[in-house]
Amino acid sequence: MLEEWSHTLLQTDPMRLYRAKRDQARRTVTSKYIILGFISSGTYGRVYKAQCIEREGQIYAIKKFKPDKEGDVVTYTGISQSAIREIALNKEIAHENIVALKEVILEEKSIYMVFEFAEHDFLQVIHHHSQTLRIQIPSQFLKSLIYQLLNGLVYLHSMHILHRDLKPANILITAAGVVKIGDLGLARLIYRPLQPLFAGDKVVVTIWYRAPELLLGAKHYNKAVDCWAVGCVIAELASLRPIFKGEEAKLDSKKNVPFQRDQLLKIFEVLGTPDDADWPGVRDMPEYQNMKRLDPYQNRLSEWCQSRIRSQQGYELLRQLFAYDPDKRLTAKEALMHKWFQEDPRPTWNVFHYISANQLPPQRRITQDEAPSMMGVPAHTAQTQAQTQNQIVQAHAHAQAQHLSQQSQANLSQQSKPGSVTSFGSGSAGPGPGQGGYSGNQGTSSRKKARIG
Amino acid sequence: MATDFWVSSHYKRWIIDRATLRQARVDDLQYVEDPEFLDFFSIFFANVIAKLGKKLNLRQRVIASATVFFRRFYLKNSYCETDPFIVIAACCYVAAKTEESPIHIKNMVAEARLFFSQTPYCVKSFPSDNSKLAEMEFYLVDDLECDLTIFHPYRTLLSLVRKEDSSEFQAEAGELSLGIDDGIRYWGTGDGQLELPDGALQLAWSIVNDTYRSDLCLIYPPHLLAVTALYLTLVLHAPTRDMIQQHPQSALRQGQAQSLDQQISPRRSSRQASHSSGTGKKPAPDIVGFFADLNVSMPLVASVAQEIISLYTLWDRYKEDSPPENTSRTSVQSQAAQVGSPFSSATHVSHSGSHSGVGTPVTGIPDVANDVPKVGTTGVVTPMILMQVLTRMRENRLSDLSHPASGRPVAVNKMLERTQAAG
Repeated sequence: MLEEWSHTLLQTDPMRLYRAKRDQARRTVTSKYIILGFISSGTYGRVYKAQCIEREGQIYAIKKFKPDKEGDVVTYTGISQSAIREIALNKEIAHENIVALKEVILEEKSIYMVFEFAEHDFLQVIHHHSQTLRIQIPSQFLKSLIYQLLNGLVYLHSMHILHRDLKPANILITAAGVVKIGDLGLARLIYRPLQPLFAGDKVVVTIWYRAPELLLGAKHYNKAVDCWAVGCVIAELASLRPIFKGEEAKLDSKKNVPFQRDQLLKIFEVLGTPDDADWPGVRDMPEYQNMKRLDPYQNRLSEWCQSRIRSQQGYELLRQLFAYDPDKRLTAKEALMHKWFQEDPRPTWNVFHYISANQLPPQRRITQDEAPSMMGVPAHTAQTQAQTQNQIVQAHAHAQAQHLSQQSQANLSQQSKPGSVTSFGSGSAGPGPGQGGYSGNQGTSSRKKARIG
Repeated sequence: MATDFWVSSHYKRWIIDRATLRQARVDDLQYVEDPEFLDFFSIFFANVIAKLGKKLNLRQRVIASATVFFRRFYLKNSYCETDPFIVIAACCYVAAKTEESPIHIKNMVAEARLFFSQTPYCVKSFPSDNSKLAEMEFYLVDDLECDLTIFHPYRTLLSLVRKEDSSEFQAEAGELSLGIDDGIRYWGTGDGQLELPDGALQLAWSIVNDTYRSDLCLIYPPHLLAVTALYLTLVLHAPTRDMIQQHPQSALRQGQAQSLDQQISPRRSSRQASHSSGTGKKPAPDIVGFFADLNVSMPLVASVAQEIISLYTLWDRYKEDSPPENTSRTSVQSQAAQVGSPFSSATHVSHSGSHSGVGTPVTGIPDVANDVPKVGTTGVVTPMILMQVLTRMRENRLSDLSHPASGRPVAVNKMLERTQAAG
């Protein structure tokens, strides 16, 4: 009898024993961390600020990947390639200038990556200077930021990892003034790939930071695409706005990659139209014919740099990072050795070293999570969650926000000041004012609620 | 795969010792009739992964990663408490992603379901629902502790040996654009690559494939397995061996590589040429010299080689109903047979022995009731038998766990019973 029964069970649910055992052993996110608030969201999911219960209240950023849904029901549909990459790569790397992964928690069909927390990012520093201080980023500060960025990139490249999405929003800075490259969601290893890089991801790098070889349809590319992006980041820090702010042509209905006319024009306006001398391979680029139809431009980078970089060596560095030919472009290592970093003012290991306290960028603003279903919430909140499935009542949302707000304020004293100016919008969405205009938690909450619903 | 093995999760957390391996099988040992079946499981399931991989057109490296995932999973889990087939499917699914050549979950489920439903597996419980595989993936990644980057011997092999223009690994060899770069603890000679006769790399490659039929990939770093595979090739691949023996310098060095030499190569005469070292004209590549200069422990290589040979001896008693796939096992045997090494004679013994195996049903479905299969020392083991062993293990485990009388999991130690019965 028993054997019959066990035989049946093995046929119907062969992994029952295993799952029961695993589920019992599992430690949940909320048993280890107190969620302090919501930081930002993207296509991948959402990022929360959290405090570890065990380690003396150490602060972390928890990235929760968007759970897969079929209709309203959360289900397993397979871990995304991007999550697998980010997890696999982060587990293998450790460097001062790369955001460190503390742990990964898989729970209830969701993946949580626990990262060290960084108080600032490059985009926020740019906004702080353009909106609040209304001054250029001081040379020493700028140089320190770039030096540490390159230091992290040299490490990634030495591990044969391409980041493929370097942009100000993805480059973080800790409160102690250490630059941390973040978001390896698009990164991948280029050491002997089984397939050409192109086969995996048709579009890489946010358009404003995308290298010309990618814009011209290159099937093979290399570390040089990251170095181009660094050039764009330097220029953006120096001028407080993206240097090549083109309009992205969207994929058509068949998912063909279109010719990025506007973005190329924006580049040519500053760097001139490339020719055979600059870039012997340019003729072989798939989009070369399209490119030739564009109006010709002269290089005026030197002029561009005069008021913005104010250093001959700084201009030289930028010029070499903006080499059209990927083979002639400066490597991360060469850039790190560049004379610009050896002339005064020298870079510092704390990027804020010479920044007076009143000029420091503000702390990262956190808001209350307006989408409670994204996080394992306390039991009584979870109950109300069911009610809100179909009817989102404004008042209810407020009540919930308040509840969460009380809870987290009790847990943490260092709440960011309401109304502090930051933006966590991604570069691709445009560095607009973002959520900066909202001063109250409830306001943000209801607005987001409406958008999600 | 990141490129510095010495700082990798693979090296730091997943090179394990034999004691850990034994510990991992403690539960299974209570349910298996003969512990040797568990070694056969290693061969059997690795073959299942390889075959499923072929159906899915997975590359060798993906199959290898899937196999390592499978082995790591069973470091923490027991066969008697899990369904290895859904685990295999999940391993392949994850490995395809980690090696950047993903397959759609729908295809994965369809192929696995079809393949597993056929003889000899006849697994009817494989879910048709994608979410079940995705769920297993989730648990698997958790059990793997999210360490998804695996190093394999193939890369080392291709770094050591100049690639030849032959078919199978051409595509994979095409990735060879960078030099050896295993980080600061570089163990190569820096002398460049070895040039070997046709077929030698092929043989070494197949030996590497074969190592995945055992737990060797959990115990030794991949470069060591690559060097050992190459080492075995030097002994077993006739043209290569001839080349070595013609080489005056290599004859001198052979002394350094003695330990394996004594066990495998019957010809010691070449050592007599050992005083001609001054004449370094290099007519043929100095293969043995190249080897001796590698910064790896040759005694260790010799002992790994022994383990690979033991695997072949075990494997020789494992018979699949379908025509055997092209592994180096057969070629190693045939090559060894040609030179008449002690190794090949051992192979022959077990060959003939296999047919006189006592009381082991070789074909057909045995009556399950009282017929508990015993492997014996020379018995032949088939997938069919292993499937029955597995099913019984799992059913017994489940009955024990749900035994109403005690209310507590009760496990009978079959090993102990047998020992006691034997007096």
